[in-house]
Amino acid sequence: MTSPIILTQALSRDFKETRAVDALDLSIQPGELFGLVGPDGAGKTTTLRILAGLLDITEGSGSVAGHDLSEQPEAVKPKIGYMAQRFSMYGELSVHENLLFFADLFDVPRAEMAERTSRLLAFAGLTAFTGRRADHLSGGMQKKLALACTLIHQPEILLLDEPTTGVDPVSRREFWHILSELHAGGTTILVSTPYMDEADRCSMVGLMYAGRLIECAPPARIRAKIEGEMIEILPHDWQAAQDLLRTLPGVFEVQTYGESLHVLVDKAKKRLPKIKKAFRKNKLTYNGLRPAPLRMEEAFISLIRDLEE
Amino acid sequence: MSFRHLWAVTRKEIQHILRDRATLILVLLTPTAMLLIFAYSLTVELQHIPIAVLDYDRGATSRDFVQQITAGDDLDLYAQVASEDEIEDLLMRGEIKAALIIHPDFSRDLLALRGMPLQIIIDGTEPESGGFAVDHISWRAEKFINTALSDQLQTMGLALDTLQPLDLRVRTWFNPSLKPRNDVIPGMISIMLGFPALSVALTLAHEREHGTMEQLMATPITRTELLLGKMLPYIFVGLVNVVLIPLFAIAWFHISFNGSFLLFFALSAVFLFSILGVGIVIGVFIRTQAAALALSFLVIFFPGFFMTGIFFPISSMPELVRMESLFLPGTHYAIITRGVFLPGVGLDILWPYTVMMFGLGVVFVGIAALFFRKKLG
Repeated sequence: MTSPIILTQALSRDFKETRAVDALDLSIQPGELFGLVGPDGAGKTTTLRILAGLLDITEGSGSVAGHDLSEQPEAVKPKIGYMAQRFSMYGELSVHENLLFFADLFDVPRAEMAERTSRLLAFAGLTAFTGRRADHLSGGMQKKLALACTLIHQPEILLLDEPTTGVDPVSRREFWHILSELHAGGTTILVSTPYMDEADRCSMVGLMYAGRLIECAPPARIRAKIEGEMIEILPHDWQAAQDLLRTLPGVFEVQTYGESLHVLVDKAKKRLPKIKKAFRKNKLTYNGLRPAPLRMEEAFISLIRDLEE
Repeated sequence: MSFRHLWAVTRKEIQHILRDRATLILVLLTPTAMLLIFAYSLTVELQHIPIAVLDYDRGATSRDFVQQITAGDDLDLYAQVASEDEIEDLLMRGEIKAALIIHPDFSRDLLALRGMPLQIIIDGTEPESGGFAVDHISWRAEKFINTALSDQLQTMGLALDTLQPLDLRVRTWFNPSLKPRNDVIPGMISIMLGFPALSVALTLAHEREHGTMEQLMATPITRTELLLGKMLPYIFVGLVNVVLIPLFAIAWFHISFNGSFLLFFALSAVFLFSILGVGIVIGVFIRTQAAALALSFLVIFFPGFFMTGIFFPISSMPELVRMESLFLPGTHYAIITRGVFLPGVGLDILWPYTVMMFGLGVVFVGIAALFFRKKLG
């Protein structure tokens, strides 16, 4: 194992009375595509801002690309590409002008400017919008412009704070395609997301809850951690079915998922006939009832529920 | 310091000014428009002030005198009264702003060169009109004495010159027409140039509000590069105003410009540096545009009006305020603008004020750079 490119030890950050990040130990290897997931207010944004050198550390320590965040925050900045959660490009400037602005600030060699900007514009699918004002772009294109701007100096590390929040599914898919390409090229990426399906695309996932890192493992290992199997039911009387399922033996929990219910049980094979029987007995009907694969989303909801209890 | 970083910020800011119509209007047109409005509202020339005259002398000389006093547009003879009670009554009803009482010995004393026994009563609730009346009565009285006594002296076989050494009255120089605009407008330029300073304070708060500051802080730009890069475009804009405002003042208000324009331009650049320093300090400490706007009015505009000696002489301020006014760039600039516009003085006289302004600017920018941190929250 090589030494981690991002490392925090007992890192804490307080905002007045609240502790946003609480004794965080994070270790990210070079080349990792690390997904930081967790509910709103878990401390994901604060963690990313600290790693980008934008917030002071209250306790503990952290280092990025070999530079201590408290001692040399400015030495970290040329190495990272940080993308804030909010759109933070200049609305009055065109796509191209925004790219040039950040190229200047990151001292991109002038000889490479033209080649890099045109490559990034193509990469982000913005070539046709080069001259358009940034505030006249769609939400998805704005995110891609922001990503292009953070890539202009070819950083070793990307810190992306919920880059796909508020973006339509097609743009989200395109965005993750770009991240996968960068990952394949060797860039270390730390991306926070509230979407669990995105966590499945990462090479490593960290679950944050109440400022702490609860789990940190590859997605498959996290799924494996959850005891039990999943049964999906599409009942007609949604509320009554939910109440009934909660009383049955072997049922760990019931999650709602659109019109269907996701039921976490100890053994799907064993419980499936018993659930059918209980439905018949209570005169409850359903459209479908089948075992389903356990997905990241259920895994996280289950983990967080355990924590809340 | 990297000039590439500096220029990147400056260029970005210029693009912002040119493309954001509200900013463009604020920095380019507002100063001249405000000058127009203020110049008219603050320097309204008083005219046709109604006065009453109580003439105890009732001689030919006193009649001539009264006629002289009220010959112009400044003072109107509202009534010739017979008693002081009537004066009180007219003053109380607000029909006159001042009354002139001519003593019984007026003609005799005047012609005997013993002075001019006069009494002026003014309405203390309206000191501007009252003061105006006193000034204008004195001014006209002086003229009257000159003509009246020249005849008298001639009949006595003396030259008018013989009286001159005795004339110790204060004369108004440089602004002989006594029009307030002549000195108020050059003084007000300092206030008009507060608008670029306000814009600088707003632009930092704007970046914070729009989240672009967060992105900026994640780049390797240094604090000085960022702050100076922000200031430079507004210094350019301010200098456009430095050309526009005097042109306007000369063309519209027919103000004489007696000094060197090049000197005025150079010293204005120094003033802009220091007043923008105030703006940048506000921008460093204040996080929202609304608060930055409020504080700019409190720190740039109000003291600019009341403490830099434009309207109220600094010499008549309490000691503490006088000290404070020394730390306002506008105080020094007001002296410079008046000096360059009216008597046309040069750097030999104005250098201490220039040094003071520059020093203040360095202090302000220093404070801003010291306290500005590339951190959120």
